[in-house]
Amino acid sequence: MNYIPITDKDRRDMLKKIGVSSIDDLFVEFKPTLPRMLYLSKPMSELELLQHVRKLAQKNRVLKYFVGAGSYNHYIPAAINHLLMRGEFYTAYTPYQAETSQGTLQAIYEFQTFICLLTGMDVANASLYDGSSALAEAALMASSYTRRNKIFVKEGLHPQYLEVLKTYCQGANLEITSTLDDNTACVVAQNPNFYGNIEDLRALSEKAHSVGALFVVCVVEPTSLAILEPPSSFGADIVVGEGQSFGIPISFGGPYLGFMAVKDFLLKKIPGRLCGMTKDSKGRQGFVLTLQAREQHIRRERATSNITTNVALTALAATIYLSLMGRTGLTRIARLSYSRAHLLFEKLKGLGFQLLNDKPFYNEFLVKSPKPSETVGSALLQNGILGGLDLGNDELLLCCTEMNSLQDIEKFVSIVDGVKCR
Amino acid sequence: MQIRFTKEHEWVIVKEGIVIVGISDFAQKQLGDIVSIELPRVGDRFKQMQPVGIVDSIKTSSDIYSPLSGEVVEVNKDLIEHPEWINESPYDRGWIVKIKPSNLNELDTLMTKEEYDKFVGET
Amino acid sequence: MPLIFEYDEENTGYVQDEDVKIDLPQELVRKNLPLPNVNEISVIRHFINLSKQNYGVDNGFYPLGSCTMKYNLKINEDVAKFEEFKDIHPLSPEECIQGALQLMWELEQDLKEVTGMDAFSLQQSAGAQGELLGIMIAKAYFKERNENRRKIIIPDSAHGTNPASASMCKCGIVTIPSDVRGNMDINLFKQALDPEVALVMLTNPNTLGIFEEKILEISDLAHQNGSLMYCDGANMNAMLGVTRPRDQGFDMIHLNLHKTFSTPHGGGGPGAGPLGVKSVLEDYLPIPRVVKFDGKYKLDFSKRKSVGRVRAFYGNFGVLVRAYAYMKSWGSNIRKVSEHAVLNANYLLSLLKDTYELPYDRMCAHEFVLSAEKFGKGSALNIAKRLLDYGFHAPTIYFPLIVKEALMIEPTETESKETLEKFTDALQSIAKEIKGNPEMVAGAPYSMPVGRLDEVAAARRPNLRWVPVAK
Repeated sequence: MNYIPITDKDRRDMLKKIGVSSIDDLFVEFKPTLPRMLYLSKPMSELELLQHVRKLAQKNRVLKYFVGAGSYNHYIPAAINHLLMRGEFYTAYTPYQAETSQGTLQAIYEFQTFICLLTGMDVANASLYDGSSALAEAALMASSYTRRNKIFVKEGLHPQYLEVLKTYCQGANLEITSTLDDNTACVVAQNPNFYGNIEDLRALSEKAHSVGALFVVCVVEPTSLAILEPPSSFGADIVVGEGQSFGIPISFGGPYLGFMAVKDFLLKKIPGRLCGMTKDSKGRQGFVLTLQAREQHIRRERATSNITTNVALTALAATIYLSLMGRTGLTRIARLSYSRAHLLFEKLKGLGFQLLNDKPFYNEFLVKSPKPSETVGSALLQNGILGGLDLGNDELLLCCTEMNSLQDIEKFVSIVDGVKCR
Repeated sequence: MQIRFTKEHEWVIVKEGIVIVGISDFAQKQLGDIVSIELPRVGDRFKQMQPVGIVDSIKTSSDIYSPLSGEVVEVNKDLIEHPEWINESPYDRGWIVKIKPSNLNELDTLMTKEEYDKFVGET
Repeated sequence: MPLIFEYDEENTGYVQDEDVKIDLPQELVRKNLPLPNVNEISVIRHFINLSKQNYGVDNGFYPLGSCTMKYNLKINEDVAKFEEFKDIHPLSPEECIQGALQLMWELEQDLKEVTGMDAFSLQQSAGAQGELLGIMIAKAYFKERNENRRKIIIPDSAHGTNPASASMCKCGIVTIPSDVRGNMDINLFKQALDPEVALVMLTNPNTLGIFEEKILEISDLAHQNGSLMYCDGANMNAMLGVTRPRDQGFDMIHLNLHKTFSTPHGGGGPGAGPLGVKSVLEDYLPIPRVVKFDGKYKLDFSKRKSVGRVRAFYGNFGVLVRAYAYMKSWGSNIRKVSEHAVLNANYLLSLLKDTYELPYDRMCAHEFVLSAEKFGKGSALNIAKRLLDYGFHAPTIYFPLIVKEALMIEPTETESKETLEKFTDALQSIAKEIKGNPEMVAGAPYSMPVGRLDEVAAARRPNLRWVPVAK
């Protein structure tokens, strides 16, 4: 395939105008030259590439998923892809030239609004890389705002999110501690937590504020916000999370969608892009990236964060998803997810599975299996089912969404039933 | 006492033992429309010429330096809602911080108005 | 155009409606979800009409310097949408993800080949995250050697992410001016080298579009000083199959897959910023690594000296698929990409350098910087806005900071000679307009849905979201 529209004649004419005799002359300053030929495969035509990649793809196996743990298999309405694939959206750059980018900009403004409406917060940014790095950025922001360098993390945070938080904190000389005192910059709590627990976080929020720390809520399964009180109602100063549940494929872990929303007083410290509504000289409404002086290209070493490229296209997917779903649709999704998970649990309880959650759960729950979890897992896998995340000790973290039909659940239960006990 | 200026375009006057600090008219013109300001907190201590805050325009971001060593006793909180006062009235409504100085002799290291006018004339 | 929140319609409904009892304490249950209900046809029209107010590479020339706005292959989109890529859960067992792991492993091998590095981490979501990781790795490397090094040297032409990344890692920055030829000043660089310098962070070719002439000398000096050399690989599009950063003396490099490797910009991401390192630094890379053992691909979670994860799961896999397809389609012909990127840039430069000023009179790499200073203060902005009326996207303006009224132009290899000439005509026409009718140019653009927007009001009185009207 040749994605270069330059012909032989063009090349000759161009080299002549430049004043060199060959293409190699353009590279005289590029040193050192290659020590050897590069070991790269033969070029492929589009047809060959398609066949090659398809063969590779076929070595993957799509399963029926009863697992979440940070990646949730929700239904993606057909309309989303048709809109995302408009070249004007997906081949555009960051909207620095506002007059020619009103499409991207209005969509960002709508995304920011959706996040605020769901979380109850005042201001949201245009996206961060994913939920885990959004949480890390929140810790850095809290540290900068409070001028403290300790982070308190409530148990129940997704283990990989905790790892990412540790990496960023180590880089910034912040410490994750188990004591809450007036050195604490922020208190972090995931809700629903890694095990699916829905908790009343008001007391923790008050404790955080009583020592002058900020309260950070991390929402990894945001469809839960359709039926749960928004974090603003229990004192969150910062809400971060993972927006993958909103119309973004699970896609082997990425690209996903980090979001961050804050109370007004943190506006000047929020990392990432912000899109604002304004007018032109003729009074026409328009949108523009604003408060850019916070960002790396202006603040440079004084910026809160180095983030530049974020995830505008997955944010657009989420915006379209939330527009299509609306309050009615999103509520249905949440109720179905809740209902399927509880149905699965009830049926497993009948087989002797024991619930380990000590709080109500949304669509994820932890059970202790009366049968060896490896055997249960492999029996399910043989039938094309990924039966949760095995946490060891016969403990399984299971998840359901609206994608798990009643028949799927029946099949799951009957396979498990067929597995021998110890 | 008369007004004094730093090389970084801050001005300072002393009133009843407290110094009031802002940025000069030359500075606000250079920055263009000021959209945002990061102020220090009351109680913060600074050495002479340490950055105490940041002032942002659309395309730039500049540190504000403390002309004297001391402790911040008051900040002009209204500037958060009205950053444009720094442009409109840099020596009056656009004042930025008030500092209790630890060593008033440091004033001697700063430029007088005549020296500053000459300095910016040359810039 | 109305906001999506202004609609109040019957929503379409995409899943079944079941009567579900939510058994939760009342204080935890949401009372009000203030999202609009909009029917699908209105949503489609809303976003289609928004797309018409946008401009992508698919619409026309997009000469943003250092962004490499090359054509995004459609076949890459199709393969990324294979069910077996898009519907795979990251926690699937290894036997079910051999295709994904093989793709990541093979992509890593190809990136190693073109850069000369020994190992890559594909986990990072963007170049900036690659930089952050690189600095963390440098810190860990020196900590293990009991060397207290906290300084990072950058040229004054560096991209803002470089110092911002340093700052996120609590490192200090030392900025070295550029010399008259646009290279980092080697004498001032020598003076700045001391036992506290951890890293020398360079973009090569640099943001002026110029290849650092003394790169080998710089690397030698840095290494003699015990410092590491980091390459900001944003400008890799000039060097594919021509020269390798490793051979230039770099110990680390991040690549931007959404620039050099044609994955779409998406309006601002998602991208991917793989970090390549020499083997001495390999053990510090994030886990898991993808390894090949006995014909099978595995995720290796052994920690060794890893600095940790920078994100959950494995990275922007969907972006990696597109970059993989791009590399496989070019294969051993990859040098043609850089040849034509550099050819197009030099040709365009030869057409424009008499109309505008060229601050550094050298052959350029894949991009070049012109100055519009002779047309007056603010002219770069006015030229950029006026270009929109001619149907082109503006180049990067006011960067790098060391050139006044900078216009940074990168055509890329996927543009035709005719497009370059049309663009030249537009810029020459605008130069005439600025001289004859500067107020007209200062009022541009005229043909867009909006004119220049009041950015001061947008910053002083931010309106960053729609607010529900109280009922």
